[in-house]
Amino acid sequence: MSGRSNYPARPAVLTGLLVASALAALPAAAQDCETKIGALGPMSGGAAAWGIAMKAGAEFVAAAVNESGGLPIGNRKCKVTVLTYDTKYTADGAAAGANYLASQNVKVIIGPVGSPEATGIKPVANRNQQLTFNSAYAKDAIGPQFPLAFHQLSGPVVWAPMLVKAAKERFKIGSVVVVAPNDQGGTDVASVNADAYKANGIKTTEEYYQRGTTNFAPIVTRIMNVRPDAVDTASSPPGDAATMVKQLLEAGFGGVIGRLGGPGTPEIIRAAGGVEKIKGFYWLELVAIDDPKVRTMLTDYQRVMKAPAPDNTLMFTSAAATRMALKAITAAGTDSDAEKIAAALRKLSPEDPYLGKGVWSGQSNFGINQELAFPVGMGLVVDGKHLGVTPLDVSGAK
Amino acid sequence: MDGIISTGLIGLSLGTQYALLSLGFTLIFGILGVINFSHGGFYIVGGYAAYSLSHLFGLPFPLAVVFATLFCAALGYAVEYLLVEPHVNDHLATMMITLGVYLIMTTGATAIFGPEPPEFRFPVAGSFRGHGFYVPYSNLIVFVVCTLVIAGVYLLMFRTRFGVALRAMADDRAVASAQGLHPARLFPMAFAVATGLAGLTGALVTPILALDPHVGDSVLAKSFMVVILGGLGSIGGATVAAFLVGIFEAYSSVYLGGSKGALALFVFVLVILVVRPTGLMGRVARRA
Repeated sequence: MSGRSNYPARPAVLTGLLVASALAALPAAAQDCETKIGALGPMSGGAAAWGIAMKAGAEFVAAAVNESGGLPIGNRKCKVTVLTYDTKYTADGAAAGANYLASQNVKVIIGPVGSPEATGIKPVANRNQQLTFNSAYAKDAIGPQFPLAFHQLSGPVVWAPMLVKAAKERFKIGSVVVVAPNDQGGTDVASVNADAYKANGIKTTEEYYQRGTTNFAPIVTRIMNVRPDAVDTASSPPGDAATMVKQLLEAGFGGVIGRLGGPGTPEIIRAAGGVEKIKGFYWLELVAIDDPKVRTMLTDYQRVMKAPAPDNTLMFTSAAATRMALKAITAAGTDSDAEKIAAALRKLSPEDPYLGKGVWSGQSNFGINQELAFPVGMGLVVDGKHLGVTPLDVSGAK
Repeated sequence: MDGIISTGLIGLSLGTQYALLSLGFTLIFGILGVINFSHGGFYIVGGYAAYSLSHLFGLPFPLAVVFATLFCAALGYAVEYLLVEPHVNDHLATMMITLGVYLIMTTGATAIFGPEPPEFRFPVAGSFRGHGFYVPYSNLIVFVVCTLVIAGVYLLMFRTRFGVALRAMADDRAVASAQGLHPARLFPMAFAVATGLAGLTGALVTPILALDPHVGDSVLAKSFMVVILGGLGSIGGATVAAFLVGIFEAYSSVYLGGSKGALALFVFVLVILVVRPTGLMGRVARRA
């Protein structure tokens, strides 16, 4: 009797178990809270490619985390949402972005991108108690007075000497013009690049232009008057660099193009009319993009985001910074206390599923060890042929 | 010596582009009394229209430029007729309306084409090379077209009944209206001519330089400077000022560098305005 009375209960129990396990297998359903992070950068104008890449990196990581069930914070699993703001590559834009994100209770910001933005956001984010992860090449991108400011990549002090030495050997460069905008975003990179060229015995001229310039014909005339072997577009926004290269080639420039600054290779190659039309081109790649493990991220991005990844390697460093920041939130057990998150972040060993092992650096250049350094790359085009990207180890950076 | 010639050619090229842009800007102010903050927007609409027609729909570039110009003219007509005309005597309202139109245009361009510059190339490549100087063929073509169009604007304004009517409206709107001229008919047409010129410049120049949703910012700033230097509302003044600015900008940038050259240009304009506060050929005040 008892067996009979128990019999009808078995399907109910089994059904309950099935439902429970099905619910457990549905990650989205397990997310019982939401954590917001910010992504800041220029989403319009000549530097838009950088801001879009910054945003894409953060959104990709957030989507991947959500796909896997959410971000563990304490005993909860939270859905990660990314809020963005167009900083227009300006100090005031970045400050406004930080305030907007503060109004949304965002304590972790991936970005901003450039030096003017980094300068503008630091005091505001400090006041708002927000952790930032900028990619600026400013000489004071981070520092001990702003302990919540982190750097998501190595600066020119680290990679410029290596790249210049390699470029000199490859192209026999005897003279170079380094050209960049005349604000902090330009001068902080161009002056470091210039020092690296001079240290390698290369005759160096620095050429600065007003940000917002649309016609580079006068600048190109000045460059042509110097008759350099190479022109390094340094940290000129990709749109500016592309116009400049187009006008340089029209002016009959037959030397080598360099790009030791923010990513902008596709724009420059397009402006030149394709790889086959370029005699020589060397550039910094923020990651070792030809490494199969690194490239996996492109296919994963396509799968998760249902769209191709932006053609800009800043997306990789942004994604790596986002992963580290989210790990720190989990380790800290809070998404609302930036100081606890920063403390947890400092204790984490830099490691990324795509970029591999990295190091914390920055002590010697910035006075604070809050710079994420993963291997970078040097790209080369020689006589119209793309020779790929050679990885450069920056783990020795201090 | 070679550098002087090359720089002079760059200055002339810049001057023609500035002239074409500034003529439209000054026409609108001179005739309607409206400071058109959407002028840079019509420049980018012209650029994107030419890009879409030539690169996406395969139209030959010259035809794309013509259609882009006509499109901007038609759009300008609609903007004036629907938005500006009802408030044409309210300077503050028209400023806000045109600024709003500009923001809609830039946001619209960003939404449709994205914030990054599209690959928009001038169909003619290469340069004409003389002894120690060069001029890209694209710049030569733009120079010729702009010069012809500027001449056309002068003919329109000074040799046609339509131009006489527009100048009469600019001179004294009340008297012109009493003579049977209708502002409500003429103003949209004047706006269309001006925005057509901005669209034409955008269609011609953006494939040589760059096209993105915000290139209109610098265009508006430069047009404003040229028009103020020439004297607000003065067609002759805007033309002279455009060439002065273009040539001064070229020489100062080449010989002083990008930073000091830009500073020198503003000092130059400032000095002229201190000496002649109404601009090179401006009047004390508009009467219309």
